[in-house]
Amino acid sequence: MSSTTPPPSATGDGIVVRDLHRAFGTVRALDGVGLTARAGAVTALVGPNGSGKTTLLLVLAGLLVPDRGSVSVAGHDPVAHGPAARARTGWMPDTFGTWDSLTAREVLLTFAATYRLSPAAAAARATDLLATVHLSEYADRPASVLSRGQKQRLGLARALVHDPSVLLLDEPASGLDPRSRVDLRILLRRLADEGRTVLVSSHVLSELDEMADDAVFLSKGRTVVPDAAATGTTSWHVRALSLDALTTWLTSTGATWQPDGAAVTQTGAGGVLLDMDGDDDAARLVRDAVAAGVPLVSLVPAAGTLEQAYLTLEEERR
Amino acid sequence: MTLSEVELEHEPSTKPPRAARGATWGLTWHGVRTVAVLELRQRVRSTRWVVALVVWFVVVGGITLLTSGAISTSASGESGPGPSAGPLLFGAVTFLVLGLGLLVTPTLASTGINGDRNAGTLATLQVTLLTPAEIAAGKLLAAWAVACAFLVASLPFLGIALAMEGTPGTALLRVVLLVAVLLACVCGIGLGFSALTTRTAGSTVLTFLTVAALTLLTPILFGLTFPTISRTQEVPVSSGPMSFDDESGTAACEVTVQERSVAHTERTWWLLGINPFVVLADGAGTTEHARFADNSNDPLGMIRDGVRQLRAGPAIPVDECWLDSSVEDRQDTVSRAPVWPWGLAVDVLLGAAGYVVAVRRLRIPQRTLPRGTRVA
Repeated sequence: MSSTTPPPSATGDGIVVRDLHRAFGTVRALDGVGLTARAGAVTALVGPNGSGKTTLLLVLAGLLVPDRGSVSVAGHDPVAHGPAARARTGWMPDTFGTWDSLTAREVLLTFAATYRLSPAAAAARATDLLATVHLSEYADRPASVLSRGQKQRLGLARALVHDPSVLLLDEPASGLDPRSRVDLRILLRRLADEGRTVLVSSHVLSELDEMADDAVFLSKGRTVVPDAAATGTTSWHVRALSLDALTTWLTSTGATWQPDGAAVTQTGAGGVLLDMDGDDDAARLVRDAVAAGVPLVSLVPAAGTLEQAYLTLEEERR
Repeated sequence: MTLSEVELEHEPSTKPPRAARGATWGLTWHGVRTVAVLELRQRVRSTRWVVALVVWFVVVGGITLLTSGAISTSASGESGPGPSAGPLLFGAVTFLVLGLGLLVTPTLASTGINGDRNAGTLATLQVTLLTPAEIAAGKLLAAWAVACAFLVASLPFLGIALAMEGTPGTALLRVVLLVAVLLACVCGIGLGFSALTTRTAGSTVLTFLTVAALTLLTPILFGLTFPTISRTQEVPVSSGPMSFDDESGTAACEVTVQERSVAHTERTWWLLGINPFVVLADGAGTTEHARFADNSNDPLGMIRDGVRQLRAGPAIPVDECWLDSSVEDRQDTVSRAPVWPWGLAVDVLLGAAGYVVAVRRLRIPQRTLPRGTRVA
């Protein structure tokens, strides 16, 4: 319990969940969840409202006992070895309060103390984290003056105060302005690159798409594998200065394409939709197209992979 | 979804072992202090507690001065220099401080846990390395510290009463310590209720009811049960004087067996014994006189002697002779063993029970959720 900052080498465990069940009365909130979140990667937790995301995160954070199934967070079972697991877990709930009378810095110092950091280390950590979430100028003002988005950022800093190797974030982007969302994305990316396990649930799928390495889909308390994600094929939108040149070249390479439905400009620029298997194919296409002299303008996923996958679950919304 | 399905669901549940005892009951000063400081900062800055303290000071001070004025007026009206008014004022201020303390303290602790849960700050605290015992102890300590601040604010007036002579200096120390412990018990009870109920209003009301039961219901119950412990039985009665011894010149009392209604208060005295006011009066240690009459200016002493007499039960043989110093003899036969340790022990047990309930309710991971609550 004394060591709260595990060395980076000890962070390679990630989250492993097998066959997790949890019922509230007659409502089966979790009904067979299995997932693996790798260390060093951002894993998106996607699912409709009421699909069990928050319940899953509560079990992972060590607040709820599952009825059945096994959980391992950073190599520890949050039920059997609560303190060991919690020392390595940073949890940010979807809704949480702050002690309105405390300043932002005091909130962080208090939480540092609850994780038994030394006062000197805590002070340095608090200053550090306030800068990270861009709240330095609010450091010594009461938390009651913070806006919703600022409180959200303070909540994120709070979850990071003990340098956890596993981060559980429930809707971290809600209430954040666009700039803060970008910052959050960069921060989570950086945390993952440092070897941490980051599990994020969010409804802003386009954003998850940009930062998530893996995705886990929840529906009615079960992990599901959506069709689109299973095949790995995604639709890309390819635009060129000359649509003719693009289509001619595509046809010559034997690719199957469809018109993107947009009108061709007067100069002949236009785009097509193209199915490809992953980023490697996309990179190859760019290289070949440029080599073939096609005036390529852009190559972007037609819709987020997560969004495509999510929409296949949409009908199961409840 | 039918019920039977759920039952099937539960049947094979292999319950994972609970975390070790130390994870729940482990206590470190660091952890307790962290929670207490957090609570005090939040409470002290958010509520107008300085205003409350000033109001308290003015109320206690005003009543003290009014009481001392009333006492001196009535004393001067009587003939001659009566017994010192000091013990009377001391008793009045002591009961005032305890009474007001019992009114204020339930609001301090009774929102500690469900209030935080409603504000969404409890779960974030629970997932830290603080043990449930530390969280509960920190909240208890913070509430108790605020309660003690009110007690300290009343010290000057207890001092004034002490300065009016007639009360031993140790009584002040004993009263302050006893009130502090009694208020800590109320804090514990409030904390327990705040862990049990979802709404803060509910826990505050329950705490008030418990305090009211201890202070008001116990004398009422004692009075109501009085007929049931009274029975008509044949007892020796010492009456007289029936004969007068000419030689010695003294009258002798005659003992006859008569039917009398006798109240066996030794069976119900404990109802009064657990009353915080009785605990305080008995434990205050105001000057103990062997003579009943000397107590007339000392309410604490009167309650103390009264309860001890009730504990002793009916005096048999019944003395209706009143010739000699039988009253004093009677006083001397009543056990002087203090009542307050037992009463205080019961009150402390209630407070401790509240604390234990709070700790158990703060344990995570939770298996069952109280109805209508979210974890976070």
